[in-house]
Amino acid sequence: MQAHLIEFITVGFGLVLLMIEAFTKGNKSQIGLVAAAGLTVILIMLFCPAPSCCPVPEWMERFYSDNQTARFYKIIAVISTILVLLMSVDFSKVLTKFTTGDDDDSATGEFYCLPVFACAGLMWMASATDLVSIFVSLELVTITFYVMVAFMRRNVGSLEAGVKYLILGALSTGFLVYGIAWIYGAMGTTDISLYAEILAGDSYNQSHLLFGIALILIALGFKVGAVPMQLWIPDVYQGAPTPITAFLSVASKAAGFLVLMTIISPFLASELTSNSICTVLLIMAGATLLYGNLAAISQSNFKRLLAYSSIAHAGFLLMGVATQDYVSVSFYLGSYLLMTFAAFFVLALIRSEEDSDELEAFNGLGKRNPALALALTVAMAALAGVPLTAGFWGKFFIFKSAIENGVSWWLLSIAFVSVAAGFYYYLKVVKAMYWHEPRDPSPMRLPIITKCVLVILMLGILLFGVWPQPILDLLK
Amino acid sequence: MPTPSLTEYLIISGLLFSIGLGGVIIRRNIIVIFMCLEMMLAAASLTLVAFSRFNVTDNGLPDYDGQMLVFFIITVAAAEVAVGLAIIVSLYRARQTIHTDELTSLKG
Repeated sequence: MQAHLIEFITVGFGLVLLMIEAFTKGNKSQIGLVAAAGLTVILIMLFCPAPSCCPVPEWMERFYSDNQTARFYKIIAVISTILVLLMSVDFSKVLTKFTTGDDDDSATGEFYCLPVFACAGLMWMASATDLVSIFVSLELVTITFYVMVAFMRRNVGSLEAGVKYLILGALSTGFLVYGIAWIYGAMGTTDISLYAEILAGDSYNQSHLLFGIALILIALGFKVGAVPMQLWIPDVYQGAPTPITAFLSVASKAAGFLVLMTIISPFLASELTSNSICTVLLIMAGATLLYGNLAAISQSNFKRLLAYSSIAHAGFLLMGVATQDYVSVSFYLGSYLLMTFAAFFVLALIRSEEDSDELEAFNGLGKRNPALALALTVAMAALAGVPLTAGFWGKFFIFKSAIENGVSWWLLSIAFVSVAAGFYYYLKVVKAMYWHEPRDPSPMRLPIITKCVLVILMLGILLFGVWPQPILDLLK
Repeated sequence: MPTPSLTEYLIISGLLFSIGLGGVIIRRNIIVIFMCLEMMLAAASLTLVAFSRFNVTDNGLPDYDGQMLVFFIITVAAAEVAVGLAIIVSLYRARQTIHTDELTSLKG
C-alpha cells in the first residue's frame, strides 16, 4: 500500500461511520467502539514499513513526505484519537444529558465520528511539507475542533468555550495566512524543502521574511498554548467536553509543535535568521513557563489546573524547539500523551460520577477506589517529572540539550523553579485523595474500558520511565 | 495610466489587516468580530495575490502558487463561517445574547 493512502482511508472510514450513524438505530456509543476498532487497524498499518516499490506519486511529493518523524506523529495522532473515542464511550452519560436534555442519545452520534476526521487532519499535518498543505490540514483539524468543543449545546460552559475557541482560532488562522503570505513573498515559493537553498543565496527579502515568521510564531503559539496566545486555554479546556479537552491538550498540541518545527527548522539552521528567532522562542518559553506554573498554583478546579499545566509543558517544549533538539521534543510529546490521558480518564470518570471537576470531588478517592487513586498518583508524579516515570526523561532530555546548547542562566532558573512549582500543584491532588475525608464514602465503580486503558497507560508510563529506548528508536 | 507597485498593494492589505485586527480587539458583538476576522483573511489573500503577481518566473508568467493558496483560503473561510454561525446561533438560543462581555460563566 502506498504511504499517502492512509489519510484517505481514515477520511473514508469517517464517512462510513457517519453513514452507519445515520442509518442504524440503537445505542450511539457503540459507534465509538467501532471507530476505535477501525483506527486500531489504521494504527497497525502505520507500524508496517512502507514498501519501496510504490512511492508517493510525483504530483504529491511537494506536499507530502513520508519519513520516520512523520510516522511518529501519526502514531501519536491515531493513539490519542482511539483514547478519546474510548473515553467518550464512558462519558456518554454526560454527553446525552447536555445534548438532548433527557435519556435520548440520538444527538450524540456525530461526537464519535468527528474525531476520526480530526485524526486524518492531524496525520496530513504530520506529513505536510508545503505551506499550502500545512494550512489546509491545520484548518481541517481546527474546524472539526470548533464543532467538538461546542458539542454539548445545552451546557452554557461548552457553548461559551466553543465561541471563545472559534474567535481566537479564527484570529490565529488570520495571523497564519498573513504570515504565510509574507514568507511566500520573501522566498518566492511555498515549498519548505527549498528554503534552505534559498537562504544560502541572497535572493530573498530579510525584513519581509522576519515579519512573516513573527506572524507564524503568533499563530502557532495559539495552537500550542504559548504566551502571548495562551489566554483561551483555561476557559476552553474547562468548558469543552472532557474527552475533547484531552484531545486538544495532546493531539492538537503535538501537531502544533510538529508544524512549528517543520516551518522553523530551515530558518533556525541558517545563520542569518537563527539568532533573532532563537531569542524570540526563548523569551516565549520563559514567559510561558512562568505564566503556566504561577497561575496553576492557586487553582481549585482540576480541569483548569490541567489546562495551566498544559501551558507550562508548552514552555518546556518551546525550550526544546529553540535549542533545535527535535528528538527530545518528540519524546516529550510521546510521554506527555501517556500521562495526560491517564489524568483525563480519571477526571472523566469523576465528572460522570460526581458531576464536578473541582478538586474537592477527589477528596478521599484513596479510600473509595484505591486503584483509581494509585493511577492518578502515578500520572501526577509523571507530569511533575518524578524519576522512574516517563515524564522524568522528557524533562531530562530537554534540560540536557538546553545546558549543552548554552541557554542563558535566567531561562534555566525559570525552568527549575517551574519544575519545583509543578511538584506543589500536582501533589495537591494526591493530598486531596489520601488526606481528605470523602463527602460520600461509598466505593466508586470503575468501568471496564477505563480500567483497561488506565492499566495500559500506567504500564507505559512506568516502562518508558525505566527504559525510554523504544520511543527513541521509533524516532530514528 | 500608472499601475500600482507592489508596495501600494502591501500597504492596502496591511491597512485591511490592521482594521480587521482592531475590530476583533475593540468590538463586543460576535457577528461584527466575525466580519473583522473575514477581513483579516481577505487582507492575507490580497497580499498573496500581490506577491504572486510581482513574482515573475523565468517564462514571463507570474508564479501561481500564491493564487492557488487564495482559493484554499476562500474555501476554508466559507467552512469556518458555516460552523461559526451555527455555534453563534446555538449560543443565542441558550443565552439570548451575542455580546462577549456577557460570556462570563467560565472563571477561575
